[in-house]
Amino acid sequence: MKPGLKNPFNLIVTGVGGQGNVLASRILGNMLALGGFQITIGETFGASQRGGSVMSHIRISPGSTWSPQIPKGCADAIVALEPAEGVRVLSDYGHDKVCFISNTRPVYPAGVIAGGAVYPPIEEIRSGVLSLVPDALFIDATEEAIKLGRPILGNIVMIGALAATRLLPLDRKKFRVAADKFAGSDSLDYNLKAFDAGRRLFQTAMSRRSRPAYPVTRRS
Amino acid sequence: MSLLLKNKEGDKRLLMGNEAIARGAIEAGLAVATGYPGTPSSEIIENLSRISRQAGIYVEWSVNEKVAAEAAAAASFAGLRSLCVMKQNGVNVASDFLLHLAESGTRGGMVLVPCDDPGALSSVNEGDARFFARMLEVPLLEPGDFQEAKDMTRWAFALSEEIRNFVVLRSVTRLSHASGMVSLGKIPRGRTQAQFRHAGALLDPESGPMISCLPGAPQFTHRRQQDKIRTAREIFETSPFNYYEGPRRPEVLIVASSICSLYSREAIAMLGKAGKKCGLLKMGTTWPLPEKFLQKHLSSAEKIVFVEEVLPFLEENVLMLAGRWTRGKGPKSYYGKNSGTLPSYGEMNPDLIAEALGKVLAVRRRPVRPESFAAKAGAFADNAAPRRELTFCPGCPHRASFWSIHSALKLDGREGFVCGDIGCYTLAAFPTGFNSLRTVHSMGSGAGLAGGFGRLRAFGLRQPILAVCGDSTFFHAAVPALINAVHHQADLTMVILDNRGTAMTGFQPHPGLPVNAMQESAPPVEIENICRGIGVETEIRDPFDLKGTRDALLSFLEKKEGARVLILRQACSLSPEKKKKNSFKVRVDENACRGERCGCNRLCTRIFRCPGLYWDNRKQVARIDDVVCAGCGVCASICPAGAILKEDAV
Amino acid sequence: MNIFGPKELMEDVILAGRCTGCGACVDICPYFGSHMGKTAMLFPCTIARGRCFASCPRAEVDLDLLSEKTFGAPYAEVPVGSHRKIFVSRSGARIGNANYQAGGTVSALLSFVLEKGIIDAAVLVDRQEGLPRPRRITEPQEVLSCASSSFAAVPVISELNRAVRDGYRRIGTVATPCQAVAAALIRINPLNEDEFINPLSFIIGLFCTWALDLRSMTALFSGRGLDLRSVIRCDVPPPPAEKFEIVTGGGKHDIPLQEVRDLTSPACAWCPDMTSEFADVSVGMLEGSAGKNILIIRTPFGEEIAEKAREERYIVLDEIPPEQLRNLERAAAAKKRRALLKLKKEGLLNTAGKGKRACFRLRPEILEKLIG
Repeated sequence: MKPGLKNPFNLIVTGVGGQGNVLASRILGNMLALGGFQITIGETFGASQRGGSVMSHIRISPGSTWSPQIPKGCADAIVALEPAEGVRVLSDYGHDKVCFISNTRPVYPAGVIAGGAVYPPIEEIRSGVLSLVPDALFIDATEEAIKLGRPILGNIVMIGALAATRLLPLDRKKFRVAADKFAGSDSLDYNLKAFDAGRRLFQTAMSRRSRPAYPVTRRS
Repeated sequence: MSLLLKNKEGDKRLLMGNEAIARGAIEAGLAVATGYPGTPSSEIIENLSRISRQAGIYVEWSVNEKVAAEAAAAASFAGLRSLCVMKQNGVNVASDFLLHLAESGTRGGMVLVPCDDPGALSSVNEGDARFFARMLEVPLLEPGDFQEAKDMTRWAFALSEEIRNFVVLRSVTRLSHASGMVSLGKIPRGRTQAQFRHAGALLDPESGPMISCLPGAPQFTHRRQQDKIRTAREIFETSPFNYYEGPRRPEVLIVASSICSLYSREAIAMLGKAGKKCGLLKMGTTWPLPEKFLQKHLSSAEKIVFVEEVLPFLEENVLMLAGRWTRGKGPKSYYGKNSGTLPSYGEMNPDLIAEALGKVLAVRRRPVRPESFAAKAGAFADNAAPRRELTFCPGCPHRASFWSIHSALKLDGREGFVCGDIGCYTLAAFPTGFNSLRTVHSMGSGAGLAGGFGRLRAFGLRQPILAVCGDSTFFHAAVPALINAVHHQADLTMVILDNRGTAMTGFQPHPGLPVNAMQESAPPVEIENICRGIGVETEIRDPFDLKGTRDALLSFLEKKEGARVLILRQACSLSPEKKKKNSFKVRVDENACRGERCGCNRLCTRIFRCPGLYWDNRKQVARIDDVVCAGCGVCASICPAGAILKEDAV
Repeated sequence: MNIFGPKELMEDVILAGRCTGCGACVDICPYFGSHMGKTAMLFPCTIARGRCFASCPRAEVDLDLLSEKTFGAPYAEVPVGSHRKIFVSRSGARIGNANYQAGGTVSALLSFVLEKGIIDAAVLVDRQEGLPRPRRITEPQEVLSCASSSFAAVPVISELNRAVRDGYRRIGTVATPCQAVAAALIRINPLNEDEFINPLSFIIGLFCTWALDLRSMTALFSGRGLDLRSVIRCDVPPPPAEKFEIVTGGGKHDIPLQEVRDLTSPACAWCPDMTSEFADVSVGMLEGSAGKNILIIRTPFGEEIAEKAREERYIVLDEIPPEQLRNLERAAAAKKRRALLKLKKEGLLNTAGKGKRACFRLRPEILEKLIG
């Protein structure tokens, strides 16, 4: 068990229906449960899967069951499988010290496809987020998954990136055990590749910037 | 091996609330589980169906909730332990039978699990099934966390056998669909032999016939039923699922049930020092209420706050009891939904409760983050995170079906309308389905309402009438409505959107499919045979054939008399048989797409608006998002410029 | 010309009941469709200036401008419209004795232009299971199978739009007056599009006083126990017969003409044109002589075709008796006066002011003469 982890540590995985959000939070939850943590995951799915926002609240505690909904402004880490969803969650649950890692690939809302609403360019989202959270990271998770031939594994690439922050005890061994439970045996290999790719992307992104590596300032 | 069958006592696992309930039933020696799919309840039966063979249990997705309750009751009558699962709306459907069952009582333990959906996150309405427990005069249990979800389910079977009546265990979305740690218990071995003993005396609960009431003699069965509920109340007085935590004399006592007990605990923590003045009375058995237990704890505080979802069930029932206790002592202050302290609709969450407690305690919460961050992030999100409306999935047959339905009604030009029903296609009330649905109520009500409209010719109604329903909904409740329409010569066209499964809730089989819940082969009941069998002209089309579908509809609409059925058959794009298997590779020919210069006014992205399409602002052409596109190829047939090309996928 | 978009087209024409169902707005884009003779907008469209509006014969038609571009002169003040000559006509020896209504002039001319390759396709009305429907033909022998008056609002121009989309660029059409206006509007490239090619080679106009929409027609027939699908042809014999003749597989049926008139499309009441004034040539019945037509030659090209068709014995032309000419002019003038008065009363002529739109525009002095 990692000593000194905030109790509870509040992790939010957000995205859009169909991006594998629920699966990602299950894998993360199981990895952490393997590490001896008491996990609670609150999820929104069902009708929301049909193109709507999907959000998982993961509460990580050394010993108690927390509510499946994180209080507003109290996230410790946000993993966004979709950039605009990351912005939405940041506004509701974030603060300037939150660990924020976002995929760069947008999934356009129907209103944007139809032309009524505007989806800002990813650069605008990136700079806006950085002005709120200087340590935020953006990685091309979906592009990386496309390279693997499995675009859906963008969620696993993001798990890899989160693991690489070392904010939470998420090692490759635990990932293998947890992913094996949910992925078919033929796709475990791809899952591992995606996980590794995420770790690599994180390292590359970190090496490109002047600020020190995660973990940055930790809130009490 | 499935977690549900791991026989390692004391093992701690991360389980979804619905898995925990299923595990609890297995630990109780469950024999028969029935239900009808509905969010957030579906995973209970789904999980049980996956282990049915290994566990030696019978699992059934019944045609509807009433039939599910009857099937579960039959198992109980035969001495087996049975579980019946449904979403809140299902209890409405099953209630007729349940009201009778409560009076006849049960034998083998029977547990009814309704899953409420506070906030209607995946429902067309927000119900509170707890009121049924009071009306049915049966015990009601509300697990407060994941461990309790398992433990209370297991206990509920024993309770049911002790009082000889079924027990209601109510879950909610944030318990059913959330996950938490559960310490596993023991799975019993052996199997109960089923036998229905009916030769005994009329009122013999062990061996007599199971008859709900004796006409004109409620003093026998109804009184017996009420004796059972009194027994339950006594048992609840000492139940470990009701407990208090907090200071000995709290300034505020929170009375909470279900997942609200976790929210309340968190809200107390959020209040910091002020929170130390709050106590939490966590109630797991909420009908009948344990009076002595409540009286003891309520006397410890002057201010009582009720926290529950959705309606003030607990609040009003406690107040009813409290009316008997005051006896000149002067009233306490009660806060809850009736006082307006908390809303009586929508979900609860820790923030809402902390705010309410803050008001009752007259303290202000310390902000958790700088105000400036909240303001700046909020303004940024307003601009950078456009609203995400619900849409049909890429490749969804419903988009194609409603494209044709909408076009046909417009072409027909007589202000025809569509009576909607419950399923993914309910979204057709919104732009993703071209705002086609004009009525939406309960399961099967589209056909029933259309039948009603269809008999109003005599009063001058001249509009063509359409009803839509899904394949599962057809079996669930639309068949009687269609029969009624035929017999009463109502004029209507019923469109059955047959996407080969109960798609919205995750592809549970229904009687129209050649497979049952346990993945055994089963004789399919063909929708077209039912329709033709009751004398309805029935056509079957592929909704991806837009022109054929539209023409079939136009010709049906032109006919003035009687009922007709058009079956639009195409499997859901998320169905196991189709998922990730694109029929076509679709692409946009950049040279053929004339963009804004075309007269199409961006038909594909502006009107058809499949998520697989997007508009390239830089090049001013439509594009396919290969990651999202499901390869149905329908958009190729709507592009007037022929710029969307589809090739057979390899 | 003042050209607006689909929103205005809906307001001014379709919702206002002035749509004749000609099909001009149908199948040029995905937004308009036609069913049972009625035009409908299928999905909302936001284009500010559209071809749908530009080619509509009931929306902002500048009759003077259209005449200028078609005949080289502003809108004529004579009741039968701009013309060069008027004949009595019938099909000639090359055509033989098919079962024509009246004189067979339309079929003869169509056969001629198709055979000579002057057009590569023709769009006209045919029956499909008894229901009048637009049809495209490309072979002369197909002309005969279509030879019958429909008296129904048929979206012929939608088939013209489809033929253009399919790549035809020398198209002929047999058009009622509203359809002929639409066709003439399409010819003049009203939106000044760069890539424009005139797709219409030859417009044969038909005389028309009213049309039925298909639903009314179906109701009329089924009310008499007649199956529309068995209808072979319909006819209105010349006065004083006052009847509507229906020939079906089972024989001939008469319906009092007044009963039919009551069911005519209300849109026809706004129509000032009896003789298809914007066609190359117009063809109608010659009252009192079965087997003969009136042929109005309007454009130089129409004259050239008629001359050649006569030379090659596709048609036979005779002088029109003065009395017949007077009858024709009287009938055309009466329809024109009735419609223009109604249009004027409703403020639909030369409508001025911001946001105001006219049905037709023409020089006020000519208007006064026509309604005077």
